[in-house]
Amino acid sequence: MKTADIIIIGGGLSGSAIGLGLMQKGVDRVVLFDEQRPTQRLSRGNFGLTWFMCKGASHPVYAQWSRLACKQWPDFASMLEEETGYNVELEWTGGAVHALGDTEFKAHEASIENLKTVCAEVGLDYPVSMLDREAFSDLIPDITLGEDVSGAMYTPEQGHVNPLKLLGAMRCGFQKKGGTFIGGQSVYAVVPQRDNTVVVKTGAGDFQAKKVVIAAGHGSKRLMISLGEPLNVYPQRGQLMVSQRSRRVLKIPVLAVRQTMDGTFVIGLSTEDTALNNRVTTEAMKSQASNAIRLFPELAKVNWIRAWGAIRVMTPDGAPTYTKVEGYDNIFAVALHSAVSLAPLATNIVAPWVLGEVGHPLMSNFKNGRFNV
Amino acid sequence: MSDYDVIVVGAGPAGLSAASCLAEMGLDVLCLDEQPKVGGQIYRNIQDAPEDRRKMLGEDYGNGAKIAKRFVNSKAAYKDNALVWQVEPIGHVCYSHLGQSKQVKANYVIAATGAMERPMPIPGWTLPGVMGAGAANNLYKEAGLTPEGLVVLAGSGPLLLLEAVLLIKKGVKISAILEITPVLPSPKAFPQAPKALMRTDFLWKGLSMIREIKKAGVPYYKGVSKVKALGLEKLENVSAESATGKKLSIDADLLLLHFGVIPNTHIFRQIGCAMAWNDEQRYWFPEIDLWGRTSCEHIFAVGDGAKVSGAIAARYNGEMAALEVARCSGIISEYERDLFAEPLLKAISHDHWPRPFVDKLYAPRPDQFIFTDDTVICRCENITVKDIQKMVQEGVSDLNEMKCITRAGMGPCQGRMCGPAMAEVIAWQTKTSPDEAGLMNIRPPIKPIPLGEVAKMELASDGAPGKNWLLDKK
Amino acid sequence: MFKFDELTKNDKIEIILDGHAVLLPSGMSIAAALLGEGKIISRISPTSKKPCSPHCLMGVCFECMMEIDGVQRQACMTEVKPGMKINRHLEKENHHE
Repeated sequence: MKTADIIIIGGGLSGSAIGLGLMQKGVDRVVLFDEQRPTQRLSRGNFGLTWFMCKGASHPVYAQWSRLACKQWPDFASMLEEETGYNVELEWTGGAVHALGDTEFKAHEASIENLKTVCAEVGLDYPVSMLDREAFSDLIPDITLGEDVSGAMYTPEQGHVNPLKLLGAMRCGFQKKGGTFIGGQSVYAVVPQRDNTVVVKTGAGDFQAKKVVIAAGHGSKRLMISLGEPLNVYPQRGQLMVSQRSRRVLKIPVLAVRQTMDGTFVIGLSTEDTALNNRVTTEAMKSQASNAIRLFPELAKVNWIRAWGAIRVMTPDGAPTYTKVEGYDNIFAVALHSAVSLAPLATNIVAPWVLGEVGHPLMSNFKNGRFNV
Repeated sequence: MSDYDVIVVGAGPAGLSAASCLAEMGLDVLCLDEQPKVGGQIYRNIQDAPEDRRKMLGEDYGNGAKIAKRFVNSKAAYKDNALVWQVEPIGHVCYSHLGQSKQVKANYVIAATGAMERPMPIPGWTLPGVMGAGAANNLYKEAGLTPEGLVVLAGSGPLLLLEAVLLIKKGVKISAILEITPVLPSPKAFPQAPKALMRTDFLWKGLSMIREIKKAGVPYYKGVSKVKALGLEKLENVSAESATGKKLSIDADLLLLHFGVIPNTHIFRQIGCAMAWNDEQRYWFPEIDLWGRTSCEHIFAVGDGAKVSGAIAARYNGEMAALEVARCSGIISEYERDLFAEPLLKAISHDHWPRPFVDKLYAPRPDQFIFTDDTVICRCENITVKDIQKMVQEGVSDLNEMKCITRAGMGPCQGRMCGPAMAEVIAWQTKTSPDEAGLMNIRPPIKPIPLGEVAKMELASDGAPGKNWLLDKK
Repeated sequence: MFKFDELTKNDKIEIILDGHAVLLPSGMSIAAALLGEGKIISRISPTSKKPCSPHCLMGVCFECMMEIDGVQRQACMTEVKPGMKINRHLEKENHHE
């Protein structure tokens, strides 16, 4: 039987980020399994925002966690480029959520006030302001706002990134530092042994490790069942549309529309509590296209070339789950959405935590068991 | 309530025949084709081609006139310039016509979207002056255009030679024909030869093609390898290696490539039909039953888009699907369906005789798919063979994963031009078969549609308005 | 690269190509018309920055994408119509970084 120090099940954004972190800490033998297909592959369906804005309105710890991640992003991107040669195309140009009409403008203002209060409770600032239409337009002078746009909430302290390059970069970094990546194999079961090791049964045979990290998206649920702790996640579909490459006119990502460095517009973002079906619906396409055009009318002439659905791993409170499986000291599970935003923390904080280092004080808030009250 | 009994996508021989048959039986059928005129590729411009062009193209082209006439007489509803961009398994079809998009419902959809020339990346294939042989053929049929300057043809397959003969007849001076098919035919072809020989018309055609080429004194090389298109801003020269290792260098203004024909499967993959791999011909195709029904009960696949068999078979297979759809719709009984199908099956069988021989003769070989590192493989995103090979080394062996990380396949063509070759590169490096790399997921829209059209589109009568909330209100 | 057969007698119609009035033969696709009139380049690739030319002429390769009446379409799938505004954006300034 093959052995390893740590096995990570799932080579998506979280698994790869943790793998990279472990290798940076000098762990000797880490094996990362990624099924590639026919999984849900939600790590390939991200919008690409590295944001804290709007997060944690009723969950101050999540607000803090998101903010912490954002603060670490610029260094994280530099590190990735230095170590792997991948440019993850991080643009730290801020971010906006637009408002249509007066009611929405006021609602956004209220949301900012609410989050300021929530953040203040935990000693955090919330550097978001409400811009009126003119100020918003000045921020993005190369593209015209639709008539109904009344303004936008805005912060300069966040950005957007190329999520697929990010995935590639972290995987590359993991392997460059000596990690073993096994792609195209399924993991069938996690079987704890009497001697405190864990056997992982895979399509490439059985592997024995001292520690196991389960980061398999929706696949984690199945693996956790036999370990006796149900994972509290549910599927939530998001649909996105991507356009043809166009001249670069939008440098600040707006929640509904952002333009990437190679000129494509990415439009989203739906939220549907649905079963594990990542097909797109014509209704959502029409609705999203319509909303995007209300925001930026010139998008009407831009070609839509691709759409997809991705099924978020959603927890009941929307915050991430980083947990030690109940009854085991050496089996961990992570489940979260917004893994793009939170990637630096997975590498810098979650990986050391897996190694048994003293965790960040906020980590204790993200146990899977927090829902069993 | 459906808007139509059947929607037929594609007005080539298969689609026209299917639509005609259905309309003649009294079903409510709508035929949609993205081009301005009926005919697909083989019968392109058949209704408007002038007499001289028809004569030059011969009987094979002329057959299309009868098919087009039948279609017009059948009074099937028809929309030209209608681009189908999404199909659902239950029979919803979204299409764009004159700047407006609409979603309609049918009980059955017959997709006859045809085939494409196998995209085979060679160094320099993105240069202006390098085209498919079928492209030149289309330009003649549609516009009466003939190549001028120095012309080279390269590749393999009967259509390459067919095009060469047509060009010769039009007085074009061909500098060389570079065939990558080996000098000695594959031994696998020989058992198939006797059946092929029984079709004397086919034999005659083949032999007379070779004779024409010889008569015109066109330099004709077999067993050629390492074909390269060279030039700065456009094609200037074609280089290759002959079967004996001799270096060939031919000045050229136009290089016509042809490496066989493969089904254009995007519509089936977008729908989610089960796909199968044809190992001999190295292409994917939708799994179908005798009538053309795919794994999605209400979706049928006919013509070269289902299996590359030529125009005659396409026509009959279109009718087979029409018969089955008519039976499912309660118009004819099973007995009648089988009765009408009998002559079709006979005709299909007779047409098919030379195919196994030709297919084996020109079957693509894995070693034809070894590309040089710096060859562009994804034209839209400018990704090279080397970029793909690097990712295979980093553990990526699945086409969709490859697409995600390299962007190959994310351009407007959605992997039409690069998918097959990418699978070959992965297969070669991992010592597996191309089908093990999987198939790129095809998402709607099947072809690009302006966002404004989507925003204003008419949804089918039972479409619900979409939901769109801000992410993460928690 | 291509020339019209002598017997090809399609009427010419006026369109605006890259800002200039031009006569193109009718009754065929824009791609065919442009090729026949010696206008080989269809666009500059946004990725390789090199000039592109129609390759497959059957709607598969997308090399003939150009702006036709404000929207990017395949020139080989679009028939020439009088008054059409076609822009190939061959000037360097229009490439985005």
